[in-house]
Amino acid sequence: MTDRTRGLKDLLWALALAGLVATVLRLWFGLGPTTNLSDNAPWGLWKILNMVAGVAISTSGFTMGFLVYVLRLERFRPLMKPAILVAFLGYGCSCGALLLDIGLPWRFWHPFFMWNPHSFLFEVFWCVALYFTVTAIELAPSVFEKLKAERVTKALHKVAFWVVIVGISLSSLHHSSLGSLFLVTPQRLYPLWYTPLLPLLFILSAMGGGLMFLVLVRILHAHWYDREAVFGPTALERELFLLGSVRGDGGSRRRQMGRDMPMLTDVARIATGILAAWLLLQIYHLAHPAVWSTFVAGTWETWLYAAELLITAVVPIALVWRPQFRRSPGALAVAACSASAGLLLNRMDVGIFGYFRSSGVVYFPSLVEWALSLGVIAAAALVFLYFVENMGVFAVSPAEGDGPRPFRVSFDSLSRVWHTALRSGLERTTLIAVLVVPLAGALMYPPYARRRTVDVRAASRLDVAGDSLRIDGDRTGLRTVFSHEGCQKRLGGDSSCVSCHHMSLPGDTTTRCSSCHRHMYTETLIFDHDYHIKAVADSLSLPGPFPSNGSCVYCHAEGEAKTEGNAKACVECHSEWRDEYANGTRDLARAPGYLEAMHGTCLECHQKEAAERNQPLLQRCSTCHRSLTPRGSPEAQLARRR
Amino acid sequence: MNAILVDVTRCTGCEQCVDACIDRNHGDPLQAQLARATTKDGLSADRLLSIAEVASGRFARLTCMHCVDPSCVSACLVGSITKTPEGPVVYDPEKCIGCRYCMLACPFHVPRYEWDQPVPYMRKCDMCADRQAEGRPPACVEACPNDVLLFGDRDRLLAEAHDRIDRGGGAYLPRVWGEHAFGGTSVLYVSDVDLGPLGWPGRATEPIPDLTEPLISKTPFIGTGVACALLAVNWVIRRRMRLAAEAAEADAATGEDAE
Repeated sequence: MTDRTRGLKDLLWALALAGLVATVLRLWFGLGPTTNLSDNAPWGLWKILNMVAGVAISTSGFTMGFLVYVLRLERFRPLMKPAILVAFLGYGCSCGALLLDIGLPWRFWHPFFMWNPHSFLFEVFWCVALYFTVTAIELAPSVFEKLKAERVTKALHKVAFWVVIVGISLSSLHHSSLGSLFLVTPQRLYPLWYTPLLPLLFILSAMGGGLMFLVLVRILHAHWYDREAVFGPTALERELFLLGSVRGDGGSRRRQMGRDMPMLTDVARIATGILAAWLLLQIYHLAHPAVWSTFVAGTWETWLYAAELLITAVVPIALVWRPQFRRSPGALAVAACSASAGLLLNRMDVGIFGYFRSSGVVYFPSLVEWALSLGVIAAAALVFLYFVENMGVFAVSPAEGDGPRPFRVSFDSLSRVWHTALRSGLERTTLIAVLVVPLAGALMYPPYARRRTVDVRAASRLDVAGDSLRIDGDRTGLRTVFSHEGCQKRLGGDSSCVSCHHMSLPGDTTTRCSSCHRHMYTETLIFDHDYHIKAVADSLSLPGPFPSNGSCVYCHAEGEAKTEGNAKACVECHSEWRDEYANGTRDLARAPGYLEAMHGTCLECHQKEAAERNQPLLQRCSTCHRSLTPRGSPEAQLARRR
Repeated sequence: MNAILVDVTRCTGCEQCVDACIDRNHGDPLQAQLARATTKDGLSADRLLSIAEVASGRFARLTCMHCVDPSCVSACLVGSITKTPEGPVVYDPEKCIGCRYCMLACPFHVPRYEWDQPVPYMRKCDMCADRQAEGRPPACVEACPNDVLLFGDRDRLLAEAHDRIDRGGGAYLPRVWGEHAFGGTSVLYVSDVDLGPLGWPGRATEPIPDLTEPLISKTPFIGTGVACALLAVNWVIRRRMRLAAEAAEADAATGEDAE
């Protein structure tokens, strides 16, 4: 029999390996270089998708516990183990990603000892930590049964009820508290998502979406391992049955439907009931005049919010409502998929998209973030498959119970070959790993992961007039107004950037002012002879190198000593400055003295503004020359001169 | 409780206070310069104080407002941020785990993170709490050449602010920013232009912790309440199941008797 899960496992292994690479990169380089998180988007994919949404989608552990243990609905018992496994792995995912998300991961234990009971994050931390333990205890019997430790299993079964009660109680707290986390941002979260109802909305959507996710998991499991349980007999089997060549159980309608379908349909009905309550609450929130006016404003948030309502609640409810759909595994899978995706979208909306407008920054996760996020999920999915294949999580139809177990060593007596986990998937997995890991590594290399653009225009925010920038060109800590456009023209237009900006030196963005304005009181000759030789040769397309190309005579009179005195005047080429040269205000070859340059850029404007605004302080010398008095501690001064 | 009063009409935007702040907080001047050029509000882990042009020719400082009832203090799960009785909202890096919830919780968008550090911490203005302990004013107040900043007791500064508005004869807008917003802040502003661009709310006077405190104080009761309700429901269901079983048994017994 071929292994249907082979392709899936290869994909998961590749993702998990990429996640491993991402983990190493994140720990090695730190958060800044590897992620697109910033001061404007402090919470990103790892917190929102893995933690807030990951925890929300794993609610089936406690909702199934409520149905089976508290309400004693024994027919849902077969879903109990998968639900616990989903919860355990979902919370494991969250904790794993969160550990790498926080800036100081080795301090993760701090909240156990350093308390702030006023913080919802503190409550979430405790509840998630405790509930993760609870799911581990609930999951333990499966493991101990496998190990045949009967006394432990018995003891665990005895306390199961009480553990479930504690689990539900903790869950009811932290699923709502995850919504309350965002209550502190009334100024920043978009009003469509900000509401005092957040805790209630969060727990309702988590319960409904979580149950739908469990349905999806069961259908997917059936797709890969045990088709008959959900999808019913295949068309071929049905035909054979009708022909009488296969013994059946009397040809009832049940026989046409999968064994587990009625149970799944019931779970989906409960889930859509909860989602309907969530939808009603959302409509109540929407009916608030302020929210409604935001909704009808028709921004992109409106469409996102509407899409969220549609796929979280409307589509699943519509599908599960109609008997012909809810009896079809395909339609049920679509409904479950839609609700689960809607739940994830809702959490991303509240946690990420809702902040775009107020922060003015669009956050898109970096490759490292995606890789780590999906890698952790893929690793959890692999553990899930391992449990499914080896721990009897799902009750499997006897006919297909002997399916492939690639994780375990098995001997095929027909082909006389040992099948091991390594053997069965080795070739493809290795190939994918060989291709994917270096590719992921190359793509995630920090310089690619985060582009840092320096927007010069942004510096002109505090412009005094037009093009002026305020710069600290000579690193004294004092800024001066600087006419960027004027100097740029003077130095030769767009091609002159490199004469001030040394592109190769990080941090050292410009040359000091004093490299042109070299003397304090007298002007400096800044005529760049080499530059002009090249420019002349280029513009006239002169052949050969200088001086054999004869470019000298372009400026200097032939046969005479080549001095400044017998050279052409600047204005003969730079005709655009003719007027300034005529009235003597411009000399391209000379930069004014430092003092004149600095005062020239500041004083005129200061005096004008001081008069216009009646602010005599503006033209006081101490307004700028404050650095004459010593500032700060000696260490600070030292640090500044670094 | 100490506070800083900012008179926006006197500020020329010379940024001497910013330099003094970078010095005092050992920020990297080059990184600070980069932050000034590249960030929206000029704040970064190396530049904890920034000057923003709120209107043409009107400058106002942007930094931690040291709220009287701060959102970040209520948000921090390990309690590494505290409001001292002297006024400053201070941060203890020894407790911080780097969750960055304070950055999300701050209504003024002030806390900054050392993203490029391998061991990153949160950075924000602490109103020079150490200098205050020595009896000196904050570095920015000392550096200001134009007496824009006034440092002192919050109540006295509030009185001074209202006095300036009253005596100004229309030179100021009749509002002290920070008097009531979010339950009051320890950085107060008087101005002749609206300070909305700094992130001040319209008329919100409720401290942000008041949005969460009523809920979170009930947490233990909700938890135990849910557990008790579950036990009660379970008890009822078990009892009914037992009664139904007994009734079935009795039925079976009477049926046998009848035969």
